[in-house]
Amino acid sequence: MKYIASRSSVWFFFFLFTLCFFTPVQSAESELTILGETPPPGFDPVTGERIIPNERCLTCHGDAHEKTDTRDDGTIVDIYADPEKMEDSVHGEQACTNCHATIDRVPHREAPDVVVGCVECHRETWDKHRNDPEGKYERLGVVMETIDSYYDSIHARPNRHDQSETNATCYDCHEAHDIGTLGSHQRAEHRLKNPEMCGECHRKELNEYKESVHGKAVLEENDSESAVCSDCHTTHTIDDPDSDKAKLSITKNCGDCHKEAQRTYFDSYHGQVHRLGYTNTAKCHDCHSGHSVKGEDDPTSEIHANNRLENCRVCHEDANENFLTFWPHGDADDRENYPGLWFFKIFMQMLIFSVMAFFWVHVFMWLYREVMDRIQGKGFIEDLNKPDVVYFRRFPSVWRWIHGLFAISTMTLILTGTTLLFAHTGWAKAVVVLLGGPEMEGIIHRTAAVIWLGIFLAHLTIAISNIWSKRDSFKWFGSTSMLPNWKDWDDLKGMFKWFLGRGPRPEFTHWTYWQKFDYWAPFWGAAIIGSSGIMLFAPEATAIILPGWMFNIATLVHAEEALLAAIFLNSVHFFNVHFRPERFPMSTTIFTGAIPIEEFKHDHRLEYERLVESGELDSHLVSRPSRRADLAASFITTVLIMAGLALLTLVLIGLMTSPA
Amino acid sequence: MSKFNRRDFIRWSAGITLASGSLGFPGLLLAATRKVVIVGGGVGGCTAAKYLRKLDPNVEVTLIETKKAYTSCFMSNEVLSGDRTLESLTFDYEGLKRHGVNIVIDRVTAIDPAKKSVATESGETFAYDACVVSPGVDFKWDAIEGYNAEVSETIPHAWFAGPQTQTLRNQIESMPEGGKVIIVAPPNPYKCPPGPYERAAQIAMYCKHHKPKAKILILDPKDRFSKQGLFRQGWSKLYGFGTENSMIEWVGAAGGGTVEAIDPSTRTLQAEIEEFQADVINIIPPQKAGKVAFASDLVEGDWCPVDKLTFESTRHPDVYVLGDASSAAKMPKSAYAANSQAKVAAAAIVARFNGQSPGEPTFVNTCYSILGEEHGISVAAVYTLNRESNTILPIKGAGGLSPMDASEAQRKREVSYAHSWFKNVIDDMMG
Amino acid sequence: MRYNNNIAILALLMILPAFSQAESPSGQALAFTCAGCHGTDGSSVGPSSPSIAGMDPDVFVDVMKGYREDRRNSTIMNRIAKAYTDEQLRGMAWFFAKQKLQVSSQKYDPQLAVVGEKLHNKYCNKCHEKGGAAGDSGTLAGQWMPYLRYSMADYIDGRRPYPRKMKRKVDAVIEAEGTDAVPALIHYYGSQQ
Repeated sequence: MKYIASRSSVWFFFFLFTLCFFTPVQSAESELTILGETPPPGFDPVTGERIIPNERCLTCHGDAHEKTDTRDDGTIVDIYADPEKMEDSVHGEQACTNCHATIDRVPHREAPDVVVGCVECHRETWDKHRNDPEGKYERLGVVMETIDSYYDSIHARPNRHDQSETNATCYDCHEAHDIGTLGSHQRAEHRLKNPEMCGECHRKELNEYKESVHGKAVLEENDSESAVCSDCHTTHTIDDPDSDKAKLSITKNCGDCHKEAQRTYFDSYHGQVHRLGYTNTAKCHDCHSGHSVKGEDDPTSEIHANNRLENCRVCHEDANENFLTFWPHGDADDRENYPGLWFFKIFMQMLIFSVMAFFWVHVFMWLYREVMDRIQGKGFIEDLNKPDVVYFRRFPSVWRWIHGLFAISTMTLILTGTTLLFAHTGWAKAVVVLLGGPEMEGIIHRTAAVIWLGIFLAHLTIAISNIWSKRDSFKWFGSTSMLPNWKDWDDLKGMFKWFLGRGPRPEFTHWTYWQKFDYWAPFWGAAIIGSSGIMLFAPEATAIILPGWMFNIATLVHAEEALLAAIFLNSVHFFNVHFRPERFPMSTTIFTGAIPIEEFKHDHRLEYERLVESGELDSHLVSRPSRRADLAASFITTVLIMAGLALLTLVLIGLMTSPA
Repeated sequence: MSKFNRRDFIRWSAGITLASGSLGFPGLLLAATRKVVIVGGGVGGCTAAKYLRKLDPNVEVTLIETKKAYTSCFMSNEVLSGDRTLESLTFDYEGLKRHGVNIVIDRVTAIDPAKKSVATESGETFAYDACVVSPGVDFKWDAIEGYNAEVSETIPHAWFAGPQTQTLRNQIESMPEGGKVIIVAPPNPYKCPPGPYERAAQIAMYCKHHKPKAKILILDPKDRFSKQGLFRQGWSKLYGFGTENSMIEWVGAAGGGTVEAIDPSTRTLQAEIEEFQADVINIIPPQKAGKVAFASDLVEGDWCPVDKLTFESTRHPDVYVLGDASSAAKMPKSAYAANSQAKVAAAAIVARFNGQSPGEPTFVNTCYSILGEEHGISVAAVYTLNRESNTILPIKGAGGLSPMDASEAQRKREVSYAHSWFKNVIDDMMG
Repeated sequence: MRYNNNIAILALLMILPAFSQAESPSGQALAFTCAGCHGTDGSSVGPSSPSIAGMDPDVFVDVMKGYREDRRNSTIMNRIAKAYTDEQLRGMAWFFAKQKLQVSSQKYDPQLAVVGEKLHNKYCNKCHEKGGAAGDSGTLAGQWMPYLRYSMADYIDGRRPYPRKMKRKVDAVIEAEGTDAVPALIHYYGSQQ
């Protein structure tokens, strides 16, 4: 009995438990009730809230005869929502109250707060339908990105005069009752209405735009191909127009239509700096003006011949008439319009091509030969078990210093200069940031240039004074002279024969022909790069004597010649001096000043023999450089080689990724 | 929370309902037709019949009434002023028949609560599952010496609308100019508390036009009466009450208004202090529950005690007593109160049949009195049940009388609403 | 035994919230008490107390609160409305909103009604759409004319606050059409039977 009693109470407990358990489930599943009454028709069965059909709203808001209403305070408000447009829009199936969520009664018992939140609904809809197989909601993914962009834009920030409001919100720009799908007529209309819409707030800008070629095309001719506000300013990623980000994106966006103009602009110094991500050089709208952009034939245009100089003077305060002959969009590939520029480019490219082609052939054949010789056990092989003890003193310390500084300044110039040339690359942007921006980079570049030229001139002075001091005994074509002679020509031929295995390796005097080339090349370089560099250094001063298009040519040759030097030095020169198997991995002679006597014998046998013969050899012999000097020289050489190879890599990356 | 899906839920809840039903309420499974017998075709009975059918069409409802047609007491004072005919107060039971109510014209002799059956004069018995008794009031004929049912044919009470109402109307009409009418008001409790005073006003309304020198005297065994302030105000405004030439006079208990005897032959009333003679006398005798209630052992004292949650008799189960016969303090004995109580009882009966506990009851009483063609007043109350004291209490802060300072336009509207009240009560009980 | 007691107490605690809710009469029970004046289920048979069957529930609550708080002129309703809580008003409102309005016939002037229809369409139909049928602005069509008359008198004489914008329309219709405008409208609503 006791057993049954306890059993039955367990069942009773179970029954009550399930009863209590189901009560909330039931209420969650079924209709809401108030005092036993379910919601009447027209009310949501679950929430009990009023369902307001769209037709009810449209009784007043869809009446084309009464598009406005007068508020109690006398203000007139626009209340019209075109029912046909609404139905035709992407929101056509939405209930009015889905967006106008604060409306719970119709007619409104009080003047309603028009509060609409677009974001939440779009997010929820996206979250709900993002995996729908039909792809009906695919476009919402773009809307999601758009929302994020908007939140980062200046429009989403609090208004300066009223922090309770944002600068602009969705429905300031989007007529939610008239939004079309991609490619719809609504979108086409929306595009043409874009300027007027932005102009609701940006009145001054709209007025300027109306006068522009863009504005006339769009507003007067309904040409939807011409630029509207959002084409330049973007739709949702809008920034403060004074910000770098905005300036950069606007200039970039101009190029979406004006592709050629953008390409040629990016080739100019203005464009190169801009492309690095800086806005301190002229951008499209600096010359063409922003909203009131007009053709050059329009006398009110900023680029009209009469206004152009004034335009230049905004930045170049002392610009003179010669600035007018500058080709801001000069195109070296356009032979017809810019034949001079074209000529220089062709010339420089041929120069680069021929020099590099010749020397790289030289390099590879040499490499081939030495490798082949080594395989056959021939050639100059260092005996590592018998280290050199006797060295030939090849460079006095002044030349060593000069070469060291020259190398460093050259590399500095290459690094800073190629960032502009290859402004499209990521490394260029990173380097500029590292250096502290384009202005600091300019300062570094110019400082390096001054040092470079200074060294060049110092060298000339020393060389000339040396020659002067030995003027009686100096033989212009003597064995230690840098002047090329016929033997060099013979040596060159001899080398090629040797490369091809058709003769012995030629024997050289104090300077080989490739060393002489290395020596003389900077003279040419200094002339070309130096003169063009000085012109670009001080444009206003240059323009006093030279026409504006000289800047175009100077920019071109400066760059091309520098490119040649950069590639040549960091490949051919490195091979000749350091990387050929006989020398690999490096020669430290230029920093220690001394070359092992065996090596000297091998490379400069004729000079060695001459010195032996004349008995001068001993005066040139030195002992092995101290271990410290050797280490220091190795270190410096290693660093410079690494730097040079790095630069070469950067340059090659730049060349290979070059958009042109 | 719950991993149950909808199907599970339905299966489980159906199982539980079935289990609980078969355990607790075995009768439910048989789904037999439930029978309700209603005794009395007044407001309480009719309303209960209609709402029982409305709330549960499976309930079989039989209403037993002595008269073939119903004549409403409310608004019957308007017959005295001539504003209304008796016919306009008389309604047949066809409406209830349309609701599926069986109408039986017969006189119930007694209810047998043990056998759960109702016996009639014609010898029929009606078995019931629930019996609703709404017999109205009966008179205490022995309260006034010399007054009885036979005398009331000539000196009418006119308290049940019908021939006596017409008799009274005729007597007033044939009364000479300058004649005197005496209304003998009953002591509490009685049905239609403002009735005697409205009646005075309605008679005055007639006299004002046809016998401007006539006098109407109310002899009252009470010192206070329903809507007293409003009546006095209305009487003074319309009939000069309080002035020397007042058409209406009222003598309360303190002034010797209690009538002890009548001499019908001389139309002389013996009151506490003095005698009163009149051309027309209307005696409204003291009241008690209707005869059937007494015959069926439903009465304690003069009235039938009930559980106010359901209006089920506290003396016999399954018998429900409504309206004037029930002891439903603090609700007045009025048509609206009976109407309201009937719905509570109907809902309670249906709930019981369906194995549910009765819902919380709610009651309303509204009552209009028409003092002149354009002068109406009202009293209203919304009631709630105090279960502990088994008392129906008006909700505090609500209800009450028409304001004393109401405008003439408002008083006029109340006349119109009084007529609406009349039509809608009739319609709600039998339409 | 101790074990059983605990179970009983537990069961009682669990069952309490489920059964202690019935403190108010149901919406239906409350609504039933209105029938004596407003007709069974709110369809009044007249001649003046208004029908409330099919009445918009929000309007119902507004009206009752207006009475309850003495913001609206009344004869008796302000006294009755004071008895109800907000929840009770909503329960009644939902009950009446679900009832079908049974319109009784009443006398009207057909010529006036024709005028009234035109006026209604021009001045009133945006709020009282579909000819003033039961809706979110109340019930006019088929409503008892004396009640409409009282209501308009109360509005015009300032005894009842106009709903937003209604005064403008009433003023306009009287201004344009004269004193017959309001009676014409009332006859139009009365004519819809």
